[in-house]
Amino acid sequence: MTSHVFEYTRGGNNEPVPDSDDPVHGKPMLVNMGPQHPATHGVLRLVVELDGETMHSIDPDVGYLHRGKEKTCESLGWHKFFPHTDRLDYVQPLMNNCGYALACEKLAGITVPQRGQDVRVLLMELSRVMAHLIYIGTTSIDLGAVTIFFYAFRMREEIYTILDAYSGHRMNNTYVRIGGVYADVDDTVEALIEKFLAETPARIDEIEKLLSANRIWYDRNRGVGVLSVADCKRWSLSGPNMRGSGLAFDLRKAQPYSGYETYDFDIPVGTVGDAYDRYLVRMEEMRQSIRICRQAIERLKKTKGEDVLVEDRRYVLPPKGAVMSSMEELIAQFKIVSDLRLPKGEAYHAVESSKGELGFYLVSDGTSRPVRCHIRAPGLMNVQAIPVLAKGRLLSDMVAIIGGLDFVMGEVDR
Amino acid sequence: MTATNTRERVAAALEGLTFELVDTRDGMLTLRVPSATVRTVLERLHGRAGFEQNTLVTAVDRFPEEPRFDVIWQFLSYDHNDRVRVETRISGANPSVPTCTDLWSGASFSERECFDMFGIRFDGHPDLRRLLMPQGYTHFPLRKDFPHGGIEPDRLYREWDAKRRAEWGANA
Amino acid sequence: MGSLKPADSEGLGFLATRVDELINWGRKNSLWPMPLGLSCCGIELMAMIGPKFDLARFGAEAARFSPRQCDLLVVAGTLTWKMAEAVRVIYDQMPDPKWVIAMGVCSSSGGMYDSYAVVQGVDSILPVDVYVPGCPPRPDAVIDAIIKLQKKIERESPVRRLLKGPGVIDETGTGRNFKQPNFAFDHSSLDLHPHDPKAKIEELQK
Repeated sequence: MTSHVFEYTRGGNNEPVPDSDDPVHGKPMLVNMGPQHPATHGVLRLVVELDGETMHSIDPDVGYLHRGKEKTCESLGWHKFFPHTDRLDYVQPLMNNCGYALACEKLAGITVPQRGQDVRVLLMELSRVMAHLIYIGTTSIDLGAVTIFFYAFRMREEIYTILDAYSGHRMNNTYVRIGGVYADVDDTVEALIEKFLAETPARIDEIEKLLSANRIWYDRNRGVGVLSVADCKRWSLSGPNMRGSGLAFDLRKAQPYSGYETYDFDIPVGTVGDAYDRYLVRMEEMRQSIRICRQAIERLKKTKGEDVLVEDRRYVLPPKGAVMSSMEELIAQFKIVSDLRLPKGEAYHAVESSKGELGFYLVSDGTSRPVRCHIRAPGLMNVQAIPVLAKGRLLSDMVAIIGGLDFVMGEVDR
Repeated sequence: MTATNTRERVAAALEGLTFELVDTRDGMLTLRVPSATVRTVLERLHGRAGFEQNTLVTAVDRFPEEPRFDVIWQFLSYDHNDRVRVETRISGANPSVPTCTDLWSGASFSERECFDMFGIRFDGHPDLRRLLMPQGYTHFPLRKDFPHGGIEPDRLYREWDAKRRAEWGANA
Repeated sequence: MGSLKPADSEGLGFLATRVDELINWGRKNSLWPMPLGLSCCGIELMAMIGPKFDLARFGAEAARFSPRQCDLLVVAGTLTWKMAEAVRVIYDQMPDPKWVIAMGVCSSSGGMYDSYAVVQGVDSILPVDVYVPGCPPRPDAVIDAIIKLQKKIERESPVRRLLKGPGVIDETGTGRNFKQPNFAFDHSSLDLHPHDPKAKIEELQK
């Protein structure tokens, strides 16, 4: 019988704790955290070998949410994979949409119109705020600060209201397409976003006021899970985890896409590289995201009425009104939905998601079915770093380490 | 950094080794190297060309063709802010390539995933277990000859369930 | 209620109905959900407990992460075959009586994932009481499911089971020593589905 929950095969690089007669440091204890555990943020399983209360070896076991996304992309086709990208990192669906669309556009060799890019930037930055709010809400509830969970979710509900008005659904919007976005941001949505942008900085301050100097929060995060920049590079970490260690590397600045080079924003960096630094970096990133959103809204006001989708009928769906009234457009829509072909070749595109470098590596052979769609998930690398951070620390630090690294299992397992 | 600079730096690092440049849609510098020298190429890229981070390790299955698998590595240099991709073609019978976990520790999970999904062995990997699928799983899902719906996807669960029921008695 | 004796059938009928109602009233208004947030739906489940939707209005906000303290399993998200064992064990560890909500299309039917790793509906390993469509369903829809479940609980007759006597008490606490199903209507038996009217009739005739 094989049971992947109750039975455990020791990994090669986890040497066992030596047995000893010492009553305190006697036999090691194997503790199974997860796959259902309140502090693991999804279905992550950690097999921890404890020597007393000290973690001797940690073996992250992932795959409890492996749904076969990459295989699905290969059998569905380019266009139909969009809804699946939402469910990768499900706390920031539109970010994943944009990443996949950008990779497809690289493959197709098309450029999105300016207004389309601005809408995407707006959506991506709102997604980043959403994702960081989940980070702060869940991590604080794990570390005992329940109020923050309610504060964070109150703010998230406002973003949900915006996305609901924009796309008709709270989560998993699927509103980005190859060549732009499905629909333009209208006045109602704009007003909602402006209201949100006006209110949010004060609320972020409120959360920070409650947490930053809070004795419990400070003591449980400070000095926990310290990472050097060299460690981050070696262990493939990126995003806020890398910046928390002090390297100001942000793909939005370093390898800009969607016109990020024309926006004015700063990259916050930490100094020590512990969980507390990563928390500060994320809080500041939310403020910077709001700054970018403000600029994007200003631009959208100036370019009202311009196209948000590229005028290239090889890749872009015809307008819905035309599909309903014209046979040719109906056929064109059918062709694109069922048989969209991207040129032969390979392309990689990475976006700076809230967890790090989210990349899509696509290989096409010129037919309607992708040969390969590899999703470079930043979350998987964050999970991989758990043993590096947690080894030798107390079991109770695990919660702060997991929370500080910030990953979402939908993306880790794919 | 421009693409020319990257190419020159990589060419200097790979002096004396054979590789060919591949045209890609994204313009990233892509090297196709023979599988025999891939380990040397990776060592040089790490040591001489200064690629500090492993972005991904994956494979592409070109099923009816033989040799069958393209193994892909992709690296990022923070100092030069550029990327490079390395590809090699290996045979479908008992596929294996050398590991690069000793150079980039972060490649460990990517290699395990690649082994899990394609059945490609990474020689020298310290802990080459399945990553995403359960340990008792016998197929390699991302191979092109594996159906999307799977082959007996519930087998492991049913085996476990049957044993559990036998343990608990007929009622459970 | 231990003093109830099934001597006088006429009196029992009258009294039992009343006690049933009392117990059901208590049960339906104090559901303790086990939030099994597997994927996207887990986020909406959190939003449902959060300030805007405020599940406390329906008496089901006391989310506990230990299955031993819960009587409502909310399977929120995609269930994979690798995770199925853990979910089944969580279900078995929950004390009786217990109910299951399959939140979202993934746990209802597999949803958009017709792939090699995904369980095509959580009802292939557990009995489900309420299915909620949506990907993910809006919190209002899940609240509606909880109201539907409350209506379903209203129709149950718990006294019948009380009179049958208690089952074997699990002394080890691991759930492994149950020799007898700890459920009102043989929930754990896959052969007797709880919604199957024939199973119910057989149960009542015993």
